[in-house]
Amino acid sequence: MLSVTNLDVAYGNAMVLHGISMEVEQGQMVFVAGRNGAGKTTLFKSIAGFLKPSSGAVLFEGKSIVGLPPEKVALLGIRYIFQDKRVFSNLTVRENLELAAYPVKENMKDAVDKVLQIYPKMEKFLSLRAGSLSGGQRQILLIGRALIGNPKLLLIDEPTEGLAAGTINDVLNVLSLMRGKVSMVIVEQNLSVVGMLADKVYMVKEGKIMKEIVEKAEINDKMAMESYL
Amino acid sequence: MINTIAYGLTIGAILFIISIGLSLTFGTMRIVNFAHGLVYTIGAYLLVSILPFVRNNFILGALIAVLAVIPISYVIERFVIRKLYGVSIDYAIIATYAVVLIGIDAIKWIWGASPIPLSDPVGIDVNFIGITLPLYRLIIILLAIAIFFALSIFFKKSMVGKIVIAALEDKDAVRGLGISVEKYFTYVFVIGSSLAALGGVLYAPITSVHPYMGMMVLLVSFAVVLVGGLGNIKGTFISAFVLGMVMAITGRFWGPAAETMVFVVMGIVLIFKPIEV
Repeated sequence: MLSVTNLDVAYGNAMVLHGISMEVEQGQMVFVAGRNGAGKTTLFKSIAGFLKPSSGAVLFEGKSIVGLPPEKVALLGIRYIFQDKRVFSNLTVRENLELAAYPVKENMKDAVDKVLQIYPKMEKFLSLRAGSLSGGQRQILLIGRALIGNPKLLLIDEPTEGLAAGTINDVLNVLSLMRGKVSMVIVEQNLSVVGMLADKVYMVKEGKIMKEIVEKAEINDKMAMESYL
Repeated sequence: MINTIAYGLTIGAILFIISIGLSLTFGTMRIVNFAHGLVYTIGAYLLVSILPFVRNNFILGALIAVLAVIPISYVIERFVIRKLYGVSIDYAIIATYAVVLIGIDAIKWIWGASPIPLSDPVGIDVNFIGITLPLYRLIIILLAIAIFFALSIFFKKSMVGKIVIAALEDKDAVRGLGISVEKYFTYVFVIGSSLAALGGVLYAPITSVHPYMGMMVLLVSFAVVLVGGLGNIKGTFISAFVLGMVMAITGRFWGPAAETMVFVVMGIVLIFKPIEV
């Protein structure tokens, strides 16, 4: 579904990603793990069209998406869920969903239903300003918002960052519910979360893929994973 | 003093009509658009040229002048402003200031450099809550209030408005949903420019029409935007009337300091509520 080959990305003269290659199959939940500054978010921005790579290829369903603007990439079915729980805080929860439904021409009722299916508690927040939601609720709203229009691939940046333990469980439940229905690439530093959900893990360090891990036993071995960071 | 208050309210109304477009452009695109003042001036000059053709029917002349500014503002947006998205704010200042200089010279070439007076199109005084003031000024104040409510409803209820509000907060997240924000920025720019032209048209009979009228009002408008908050319609409305009143009251007691006092107020506000540009 998604194939990244020898991707180099630079900010000005500073190279940030060096020859990154990765593959994501349909329905897979792939994790990208690494410390702060390893280049994980830069990788997502390059796939989603917010950064233009210096060289390399990004193929989505066999077609090159390098150089496409973010709005075109989104309409092809790739949704990027930013770090920092960036909801539109001045709009209501319903208006946040309405905005996501608009470009893909999805019926508003279907859009709301889609979010309520993964998180029924959201119903009582629909008329509230999104800015008044807790961190976990914001993250779930972002995931729900990204599901509108039946995307094929979600790029989720640090979904559990800064959340309390109880709230992390809510987010993990939502991610589990989506397993198999949509492909996901998730940036995550919490290796326990990675161990619970990952089908495949790419360990990233200083802009390079240090290791691709597919064996479940190895994915669950936190010590072994940490050795690549 | 009552006349001063009436004058302050009129200035506030004009400042709001001009500043709201500047505020939305600054807020969404992060572009300091000096060309906004040029559009204001062009609106006034177009009115001067159109009035003889519509038998001095001010409403019709004003409408045509504002509509005629739309293609001009589109050209400015398409060929200058759009190239400045995401680049340093310094480039925007230089590029839009260049547009102003070219525009002012073009105005001098077409209409001449001498001020052109226009008479009060209504010419009637009214007594309103104990204040006697020209009906024309009262109409401007009421029009500004109507524009405030119309814009508030537009941005609250319409999809274009919601997209702009979302883009004010997080442009990239809007693009990530599959929405091309540039198209909506163009709408905002054209709406803002039309309102600037309307401001020029409405203010022309109060002052005189001259090539530099836009530059004078633009700096005060920037103060209104910075005090009111970027892209904040309600804040801009309140700020315009407060600063209009500051100008009028200062002007009554010490004329040369009227505009300076606006920037003193702006400075005080920015000390307590700094903005990120």
